[in-house]
Amino acid sequence: MITKIFVAIAVVIAVFTLTAGFTQQAAFVLRQEQQTQHWPRHGTHLSGVYRSGGWAPSSVRSSYSGFRGGGPAAGK
Amino acid sequence: MASQTQIRRSSRFTDPFFYVLWLIVGSMIFALMLGAAWGNTLISTTVQVAPDEPRTFAPFEIKPMAIGAFRADVEAIVPENRWLTYELQLKDNQGQVIASALKQAWAESGTWYEEGESGSWYENDLSAGFDFRTGKPEPVTLTLAVLEYSDTSGRELEEPVSFAITVKEGVVDTRYLWAGLVGTSLLGILASFSFGQSGRLVIRRRVPDSEVGGRAILGGSKNLVRTYVDIKGDANAPPYITVQLSITNSNGAEVYQDTHTVNLHQKKSDKGKVTSTHGKLCKFFELEPRDSYKFYAVVTPAQNIDNTRIQVREKSRTFRPVEVVSVQALL
Repeated sequence: MITKIFVAIAVVIAVFTLTAGFTQQAAFVLRQEQQTQHWPRHGTHLSGVYRSGGWAPSSVRSSYSGFRGGGPAAGK
Repeated sequence: MASQTQIRRSSRFTDPFFYVLWLIVGSMIFALMLGAAWGNTLISTTVQVAPDEPRTFAPFEIKPMAIGAFRADVEAIVPENRWLTYELQLKDNQGQVIASALKQAWAESGTWYEEGESGSWYENDLSAGFDFRTGKPEPVTLTLAVLEYSDTSGRELEEPVSFAITVKEGVVDTRYLWAGLVGTSLLGILASFSFGQSGRLVIRRRVPDSEVGGRAILGGSKNLVRTYVDIKGDANAPPYITVQLSITNSNGAEVYQDTHTVNLHQKKSDKGKVTSTHGKLCKFFELEPRDSYKFYAVVTPAQNIDNTRIQVREKSRTFRPVEVVSVQALL
């Protein structure tokens, strides 16, 4: 019966989405270089990467006129 | 050989897996409501931030969490026709940046003209959101900076921008839950449409006439026999027709015969002209014993009927209680 197959698929979908949603798999993991599961919200994209124990701003971020290396308030 | 006929509404052939499926959908709705309510607010305020004058908020403690993550939600409050780039930045207790994210926000309005009519429009994308989690407890601070602010002609503005900012802990990502709800609901809807095709097809015959029939070996106890008679008529067919459905066993004895009124629905062209008519009769049977049965349908009035199709499935299931005609041969 096809409903048994549908139930099996629904269980897989439910387990995956509940796990991913409640454990926040799409959130950015601080102090971690690999961010394969990060899923930005509201078009808010990372402006750098975490590398060798520090934050390295991306070229997009560096192009803003107020940029002084290290982001806002750096050196203040 | 005489037979006994009983008509009763029965739920004996309902498929329990259909209800399991909708139970899963219900669980997703509950999880979505629970997930949306989950989390505590750490910061909730409205601030003004001038370009190149970043605003830093009070430090807060982050820690690994089994459920949810930290969430910073920001909404820029700007007049119409503004472009804005702002950044959210997280720093550790040494003042070192550990994460930052950019939002390119805008709010634009204008006037539209079309076929002599006109009106105004307004669209914006001003919200930013950043979810983060950590593997170790530590205090962090959040900084909000305006990197660029201009009007839509590109003229830079120095005036401060208002922001509504909220920081929460233990927030669940409901995007996955919505996807799960849509996916499981689609399966539930597909399942409800699948019952018409459930079981084994034993008779399927279409004739360009008003009478159609077919014979097959079917039936037995706890075996739901689903019968469809599809009628297609031309534009002049009456709105109601009658279908005389009969079943005879292997000895040629009629074990069931009844006349049903069927409503013919009109199919219209783009110009509103009736092009054809269509009607459907669905009946459920439980026939005992298992035998060779002939199903025969006669549509009246016969004129204006283009074709008639009969389709019989055995071992069928339903998703709700249905009226079943039980026919049992008396020995």
